[in-house]
Amino acid sequence: MTTIISQRDLPMTTLEAVPLTGPVPPSSPAREIEFRDAVREAMSEEMRRDARVFLLGEEVAQYNGAYKVSRGMLEEFGPRRIIDTPISESGFAGLAIGAAMLGLRPIVEFMSWSFSLVAADPILNNAPKMLYMSGGQFGCPIVFRGNDGAGGQLGSTHSWCVEGLYSNVPGLKMAIPSNPYDAKGLMKAAIRDDDPVFFLESERLLAFKGHVPETEYTIPFGKAAIRRVGSDVTIVSWGRPVHFALEAAEALAKEGISCEVIDGRTIRPMDWETVFASVRRTNACVVVDQSWSFGSPGSEVAAQVSLHCFDDLDHPVVRVHSDDVPAPYAFNLEQEMLPNARKICQAVRTVTYNA
Amino acid sequence: MPITLTMPRLSDTMEAGTVIKWNVKEGDKVRSGDVLADIETDKATMEMQCFDDGTIAKILVDAGKQVKVGTTIAVIAGKNEDVKSVAANAGGGGASGSASPAAAPAKPAAEQAPHALDSARAASSAHDEEHLDDGGGRRLRVSPVARRMAEEQGIDLAAIRGSGPAGRIIKRDILAIGGALAGSAGENLAGAQTAANIPTATALALPKQASGSVAGSPVAALAPLTSRSVALSGMRQTIARRLVESKTSIPHYQVTMKFAMDELLGLRKKVNDSLEAFGVKLSVNDFLVRACALAMAKHPYFNASFAGESIAIHGEVNVGIAISLPEDRGGGLVVGVIRNADQKSLRQISADAKYLAEKARTKGLSMEEMNAATFTISNLGMFGVEHFTAIINPPNSAILACGAAIEQPVVRNHQIAVGWEMQATLSLDHRVIDGAMAAEYLSTLKKLIESPAALMV
Repeated sequence: MTTIISQRDLPMTTLEAVPLTGPVPPSSPAREIEFRDAVREAMSEEMRRDARVFLLGEEVAQYNGAYKVSRGMLEEFGPRRIIDTPISESGFAGLAIGAAMLGLRPIVEFMSWSFSLVAADPILNNAPKMLYMSGGQFGCPIVFRGNDGAGGQLGSTHSWCVEGLYSNVPGLKMAIPSNPYDAKGLMKAAIRDDDPVFFLESERLLAFKGHVPETEYTIPFGKAAIRRVGSDVTIVSWGRPVHFALEAAEALAKEGISCEVIDGRTIRPMDWETVFASVRRTNACVVVDQSWSFGSPGSEVAAQVSLHCFDDLDHPVVRVHSDDVPAPYAFNLEQEMLPNARKICQAVRTVTYNA
Repeated sequence: MPITLTMPRLSDTMEAGTVIKWNVKEGDKVRSGDVLADIETDKATMEMQCFDDGTIAKILVDAGKQVKVGTTIAVIAGKNEDVKSVAANAGGGGASGSASPAAAPAKPAAEQAPHALDSARAASSAHDEEHLDDGGGRRLRVSPVARRMAEEQGIDLAAIRGSGPAGRIIKRDILAIGGALAGSAGENLAGAQTAANIPTATALALPKQASGSVAGSPVAALAPLTSRSVALSGMRQTIARRLVESKTSIPHYQVTMKFAMDELLGLRKKVNDSLEAFGVKLSVNDFLVRACALAMAKHPYFNASFAGESIAIHGEVNVGIAISLPEDRGGGLVVGVIRNADQKSLRQISADAKYLAEKARTKGLSMEEMNAATFTISNLGMFGVEHFTAIINPPNSAILACGAAIEQPVVRNHQIAVGWEMQATLSLDHRVIDGAMAAEYLSTLKKLIESPAALMV
């Protein structure tokens, strides 16, 4: 499975044209790197500045990572800090949690978040609750990271969007970056954070290039970015679907509908103030979330917006999710199951009464 | 800080309360001690007092609505607070926002066109009172932001046909009117609100109610009765629950006795005549309360409760009297309690009974005034009822149902004569009181009533 994924040739139609009106510094001279390189830069920089930081996971060392995220790190940091593990998520996640409790700052790579399900007990039952259950004696400063969401024809067991399941648990933080700049800034913040951080990357974004400055920066958790300014509807999203939302916004602009696109960047914590302020201007809200709809982060956004912006809404909040079925293997069905631009356009027309 | 008024817990068992009536409206200044509203609990209707000075910024629960204890029902702006912003932040509710056009933020155009605006308001207030009914009985659908914008701009929602699904009035419809208003440069704000001047949103011709008038008919026909469903008031719910519980769990039986009332009525007249100047007017019921209470000394089981494993005989005699409530207090009945009735004079009992009846029918009784009855009397004599039976008021073990003293042929000293007689029927809990005991109690009562001088001392 290690040889094929990043070479898959699926269309990445929208990714080149992403306008970043958020706090991305202008590129001069523009240094554009891939998402995977941004994640590696963040890890490497933090390992240089803090000897407690180490990386472990399946094939992260000798093979340079299943997705080449950790390329070259074994050479720089050696086998004591870049650790190949057996195929045993529950074991190495538990080991890393123990290390974090005793003061180290592990980064655990799950080849895919789909594989983290076998480690549910350590990552959900131990890490996020440790500080609470130990009465403050043990924290758990750890980063779990890996690919989340449909990678492209991986079948239903390997296409998990774990944010719907995992963000439900109190005590953890969750970052879902949509571009290289955010990936680096959020990863550095995640490693420095004293709480367990679930860092969800998208396999479909790993090769996505974007501007990342060479100067050091971090991005605080709980600060959303407005990717596109608009006046008729607020589209709230995070991670890969932000690109679908931008694609939809572009198409809708031709119909005269002006969309504001908010990239949450982290969903635990979520930047509610930015979301509410936008909805209060536009009076309409669409949430785009690639998890299934039932009990999802998207439903949380809809509930919070309905609660806090009730008198500002012209239409009930509408959500665009993956369809409520296991991810299909067939290419065309998978594309249709995901929250794509067509579905987002439809939702926006509904909430703006342009259907 | 704005002061939040919540539904108070007025009795131990109260879980929800109904605002029967607001005595204040939004914008009213209130002082500590003012009675803001009448609150109906599961037991009684009580007054809700204000404990702070300020201005009613927002009423969140309309009269007639039941809400859980602890629910915010109104918000008061403190002395130095801006009533408008407190009202705006009061949030929630929604219901009353549109129902109180007077409290809506002052409109900038009000000074420019006061007359026109006033008439527009008057026209719209009728619809507002109907709670967003368009006047033709059609429920208005309005998106929250459209409702808010209409309120801010003083636009009458009933005059707009919404362009959203199922006629929902949406932001676009309000903006269209707003545009029309801006176009006319505010020259006639209220006029623009009326249907004729709205170019983009379609006006609704409101049909006048023309049919159904019988005023001109030569013979006024009886209005036909209509089927309808009446929501249970809290008190009605309590009556339903407690009396079903009583009647189904207590083995009731009844024992009736007749009482010669000639002497008692004569004595009553004499006392009332002589004490009229002091405002004393004893009722027959006052005598009955005293008689029943005095009889307890000899018959302690009539002042007792069945307590599962034992019978609890009470150390004080608290006689409950059933008081029916007028319709405008929500109807129903309550039991007011005359405490230590065996220790009180007739005059005191009379005063207590009058106070309780008056208070129950105007302000409502406090819990203390309704608690801890050990025996109850229900009297329908004043309605001319001859005989009836009552359901025991738990945890009592007996209740006395009294009919009227009626002038009728009676046998006295082996002669047929004309005399005053009253029937009274005890309902009894057979777990506590047996038939013979009931007969003995009634005999004691009979002696006291038929030789009423003993009641005077």
